[in-house]
This record gives sequence, structure tokens and C-alpha cells, in this order.
Amino acid sequence: MNVQGKKHIILTVLGTGIMLWLSAPARASNERIERHFAVQGRPVVVIQNMGDGRIEVKSSKNAEVVVSGTRASDKISIDMEQAGDRIDVNTTVIDASAQLSERQANLQLTVPEETELQLKTQTGLIYVEQVTGDMTLESIAGDIHLKEVSGYIIVTTTGGSLVCTQCAGKLKFESVSGSAQILQPGLTNVNLHTTTGNILFDGDFVRTGLYSMKSGKGLVEVRFSGNDSFDLNAQTATGTVDNQAAAFLKPDSHGVKHLASKFTKGLFGTVGQGLAKVELSSYSGTIRILKRD
Amino acid sequence: MQCKEVEAVLEQEGFSPLPAAARAHVVSCLACKSLVADLGSIVAAARELPAELEPPARVWVSLRAQLESEGIIKLPAVAERGRASWWQGFADLFQSRALATATVGLLIVAGAILQMKLPATHSNPSPNPFAETARTLAEQENGLANVQLASNSVVDTSLRQNLTAVDDFIADCERRVQAEPQDELTREYLTGAYRQKAVLLSAMMERGGSGN
Repeated sequence: MNVQGKKHIILTVLGTGIMLWLSAPARASNERIERHFAVQGRPVVVIQNMGDGRIEVKSSKNAEVVVSGTRASDKISIDMEQAGDRIDVNTTVIDASAQLSERQANLQLTVPEETELQLKTQTGLIYVEQVTGDMTLESIAGDIHLKEVSGYIIVTTTGGSLVCTQCAGKLKFESVSGSAQILQPGLTNVNLHTTTGNILFDGDFVRTGLYSMKSGKGLVEVRFSGNDSFDLNAQTATGTVDNQAAAFLKPDSHGVKHLASKFTKGLFGTVGQGLAKVELSSYSGTIRILKRD
Repeated sequence: MQCKEVEAVLEQEGFSPLPAAARAHVVSCLACKSLVADLGSIVAAARELPAELEPPARVWVSLRAQLESEGIIKLPAVAERGRASWWQGFADLFQSRALATATVGLLIVAGAILQMKLPATHSNPSPNPFAETARTLAEQENGLANVQLASNSVVDTSLRQNLTAVDDFIADCERRVQAEPQDELTREYLTGAYRQKAVLLSAMMERGGSGN
């Protein structure tokens, strides 16, 4: 290669580098803020994320709420305030012309183990781990993952799905197309409803617990253990009931005569003493009943 | 006159003219004299400021976004407002999510009561007890065209897709209820789907108005 050719390559590389360097500040304008709020009792944390982004909540032994936030641009603001033991965090798009990538605000919180949560987001994931307290979680398209949480948990989504691992207390889930997976639960009251999503309940039914799981078009699958004790009522309007645990289901032992509707297909049965109550239903989806190995 | 009374006069009536009693007290009271002097300096400094300060554009944007998010103002609809019908007024009223959901809830309850009043052995196909709910929601959906979500953001796309999914499900359930009016399970699903549709429409209207 001649000198002229080498010069040309060097100039091209340098030019590209300068272009990238000039464009870098605009893209990498992530700003991080962190605030500490001392609390005395059981705090209430209210978050409304009107931008796009993730909300992550974990617990610690400290009597304080720590909020860390990053925002993709100055076209979205993160505002926080404290009123006693209530902490409010709001992210707001302050420039309507902001591009999608400029509307992102991610929040990370560390809260006392006993904290009440009220979280509302648009698209990002909501992740809550090891928190005890009532919580209301709302999302449009974002998923919600809960791990080792307990309390009265209300989850509402439009398209986001729920994964609840080792949750305890009461759970209410409502969604249009989101699915729900309840894994290894210790829940005493479960109410799940989705129109087109799937439902999976894999775990034990607590004695005296009440469980209602309904999906319009999706699959409703329940995997129980041999030690469980529950009455089962599974009904579908136009779908099918796939009972793969017929050997473990006995006729209802409580003397109540169940009359199936002539418009539905389904089954009634009892596992063990029938101490919990399980109601499964679908409009056109499949209901599957399995016993875990 | 006492100091507190002078302060009250200043609060309520301002500087000029101070009543004679107040002026007499100020002359003899060092604290009040100092207060009046400070206030005079502030007023003088304020008069030095330009008549109008132009706030930065971002302040207006932020203020507008805040007012819109609180529902105090709404973006003008893209379509011609001039030819807004009586329905448009009703749709505006319906833009509150709570009101929309409550209205649909009332319609559903009314439908259910109507259905309960029908004799169990009704030989002819029952009139659809949810007809009014369905009609209201359909009109609401048509009215949404005026605040159509133009954005292709994940949220708007999700809302549109879910509305389509709910509409399909409603149509399916309605056909079934038409064929089997006594099918309680299907009616239960249909009721839930109407409720979800009302919530979705309200959310879409709010977003259409807020620009978020």
C-alpha cells in the first residue's frame, strides 16, 4: 500500500472516531441520583413511573428507604418526597417530544422488610424480593416478578405477566393477556383472572385456603402434591378438562351433591380430606390437572 | 396601635397610604420602622425587574405535561371540534376512568337484574341483557377515533392489541350467549370482558390526552 493509501485509511479511521466521540455525550447522558429517607415504622412507598423503565425493590434490616434512580435524558424527571413514613417517587416525561429511548427511568429501592408498596409502571419490569406488606402493583405491558413476598398482593396488568415465587398471604391477579405463574406458594387466598393468558399453579394448597383461577382462552394448569387436601371444581364452557390425576380424585366426601350445568363440561372431586377449596374455570381454554412426582 | 396591628394593616392594605395611627406607631417603634424599611426595599427592587420575564420553554412543557397528567387540561382532539356532536360531550364526560368503569358497571348490574327478572323457562331466546353495555362501549370505542393513539410505543401498541383481543373474546362470548342464553359461565366471562374493555378504553383516552 502506498503512502497516499495509508493516509486515506488513517484519516477515515480518525474521522469515524471523532464522529463517534461527538455523538457519545448525547447517548450516554444517563444520570444517577440516590436519596436516603429515614423511617420509623412500617413505611408506605408509592411509585408512579410514567416513563419506561424498571422498578426493583429489595429489603434490608435498616430503618430507611433508599431510592436510586437513573434517567436516560433530561426529558424525564425523577421526583421524590417524604411525608412521615410515606415516600413518594414520581417519574414524569417533561418534554413531550422525547424519543422512546429518552423516556427511560430505572428505579432501585431498598426498603425495610416490612413495607407497603404501591407501584405503577408502563412497560418496564417490576421486581420485588423479600418484602412483607400489602402491595398494589400495576403495569400495562411490563412483567411483574415477585420472590419471597407476603401480604395482600394485588396485581393488575394489561399485557404483562406475573411470576410469583414463594409468595405467601393473599394474591389477586387481573389481566387481559398476561399470564400468571405461581410457584412454590404459601398462599391462603388466590384469585387469578386473565382473558387470554395462561395460568400455572405449581405448589401446595394450604388447608382452609380458597383458590380461584380463571382464564377465558388460555391454559389453566394445576400441579398438586400427594399430601394436599382440597375440593376441586373445574368447569369450562367450550374448552376441555384434561384430568391427568384421576387416580387421586375421589367423589366429593362432604355430602354435597354437585349438579353440573348442562352448558359446561367439568368435574368435581376431592383430594385428601378436601380442606381447601379450588375452583378452576375457562371459557374455551384447556384446564389441566396434574399431580407432581 | 401595637406592632401586631401594624403588621395586620401591612398584610391587608399594603403600604399606601398607612393609616395615621399606624404611621404614628412606626415613627416611635424601631422594629416596625425596620420592617417597613425592609418591605420598601423589596418593593423598590421588584419595580426594577423587567415587566415580563419569559420562562424557559421547558417550564411550559413541564407545566403542560403536569396539567394534562392531572386531567386539568386536555390536548385538543385532532378531528374538527367545531362539529362535535352531543355524543362528543358525553364522551368527554366519559374520559374519567372511574366514571367510565362505574357507568359500565352500572349497565352490567342493570343487565344482570333484567336477566334475573326473566322467567327461567323463557321459551324464546332472551334479549341480550348486555345489549346496552355493548352499545355504550362500541360508541365509546368509535369516539376514541378522535383521540387515537398515534404512538407506536410499547404501551400504545399493547393497549391496541389487548383491545383487539378483548373485542374478539367479547364477540365469541356474545355468539355463545345468543345461542345459550342460560349459560351462566359464559355470561360471567362476558361481564368480565366488558369490564376490561371499559378500563382499556379509559386508559387509551387518558393516554391520548396526556401524550405520555
